[in-house]
Amino acid sequence: MPDVRRLLARVNWPGLGTIALGFLLWELLLRAGLAHYQNLPPPSVIAGALVEITRNGELLADALHTLRVVLVGWVAAVAIGVVSGLILGVSATLRDYSLASIEVLRPMPGIAFAPVALLLFGFSLQMELMVVILPALWPVLINTMGAVAGVHARLFDVGRTFRLSGAETLRKIMLPAALPGVLVGARLSLTLALVLAVVAEMVGNPAGLGYAVVREQQAMRPDLVFAYVVAIGALGVTLNAALTGAVACLFPAASGRLREAT
Amino acid sequence: MEFARRDGPRRVLDRISLDLRRGEFLTVVGPSGTGKTTLLRLLGGLTPSTQGAVHVNGRPIDGPPAGVVIVFQDYSHALLQWRTVGRNVAFGLEGRLPRDEIDARVRDALRLVRLEAHTADHPWQLSGGMQQRVQIARALALRPAVLLMDEPFGALDAMTKATLQDELLRLRDATGSSIVFVTHDIEEAVYLGDRVAVITGAPGRIGRTVAVDLPKPRDQIVTRQLPRFLELRYLLHQAIGQSEHA
Repeated sequence: MPDVRRLLARVNWPGLGTIALGFLLWELLLRAGLAHYQNLPPPSVIAGALVEITRNGELLADALHTLRVVLVGWVAAVAIGVVSGLILGVSATLRDYSLASIEVLRPMPGIAFAPVALLLFGFSLQMELMVVILPALWPVLINTMGAVAGVHARLFDVGRTFRLSGAETLRKIMLPAALPGVLVGARLSLTLALVLAVVAEMVGNPAGLGYAVVREQQAMRPDLVFAYVVAIGALGVTLNAALTGAVACLFPAASGRLREAT
Repeated sequence: MEFARRDGPRRVLDRISLDLRRGEFLTVVGPSGTGKTTLLRLLGGLTPSTQGAVHVNGRPIDGPPAGVVIVFQDYSHALLQWRTVGRNVAFGLEGRLPRDEIDARVRDALRLVRLEAHTADHPWQLSGGMQQRVQIARALALRPAVLLMDEPFGALDAMTKATLQDELLRLRDATGSSIVFVTHDIEEAVYLGDRVAVITGAPGRIGRTVAVDLPKPRDQIVTRQLPRFLELRYLLHQAIGQSEHA
């Protein structure tokens, strides 16, 4: 029971109250006819639409597709980002050669590559993954590189006075010292991956939650459009909470420092 | 041990000649900017010498020698903040000794610095003095022949400093390690040392070396009032050629 009470104490009640009040206002303004938009359904109708797509299984199928793209793309982006970030963090020479390219590529809106991805891979999962992975990799790479390059020089002195090998220095000093930075990057990257997957589905691959929003908009079903938007939001919140929880479980010490860093 | 070093065109240390005897507590005292830290890094094999060489047991060193370990001044950077106190102390032993041997040595080292109750804490949960004791325990766990200490108490308040000075003397008696202790505090150098080497100038040179013939065990109040203590302090001030407050 104290667990439940602690959980309840952690809930941000005033914040939730504001959200509830917003929905209530939205509902009332539409019902009272004070705000009149033909294609803006009240929250109660959206809730009904959510029940409908949940019942007929469309929501689950679309959500699973998008979830798969996000997770596969994010894992790939984290893997590529961590490895290249480590290499660039260690080698000042490689950093000198590649930093200019990174600074040119990184600020490009990733979604601008969607047409290229479409030309390369057609309406496919690969297209979606390319659109997700390319931009989602930068936060991981940059944060990992910065974290590795920022490991305090004294720690390397300590490694040397204790006669650590190169591999031991990497495993026992650099990786753990850089971990909080890597986690910050991974978290930014996850949020980005969801946005990119949804957009890729809207403009490219006709599948998943992103495509469902466009599909229902063309079918003139605003209630379903909003229902899918809500579902995308819920997926984002769930993914973020899952990652935060996993980090707290796996790296309790690092998660404390992560909370300070973000 | 002889070494001289050229750091770019700047000579940091010049014509240094020092011997460290087994079990000896040698303090090196001098104003800042005379290359004390460089001297210690040379001795610890972290910085290669440009001329001359450091010998351990008659053999010239090439990198950090076995059995010689450095304790740094900035404990908060030198400790692995993501590891518990116990795992910090185990750091130098991992992969070199069997698990139970490591556990035993960590326990012994933490008992020596009286931190056995904090094995599971993280460094950031401890005071500065306690963190420095963790760093000393980490070095002691290696059972080093030589302990090199770079102003280890420089960042601590006066009371903590006095406590740790006495603790260090006790540790030396318990372990028999030789110690090179670098400091800019003349009284500390006299209080701790069996011998004090004065380092002055830029480039740094060893001026004179003074044997400290004060009775042991030393005592923070009694020893510091002995005429011989004051005499040695005066002598070293003279050698450094500056007032205590400069």
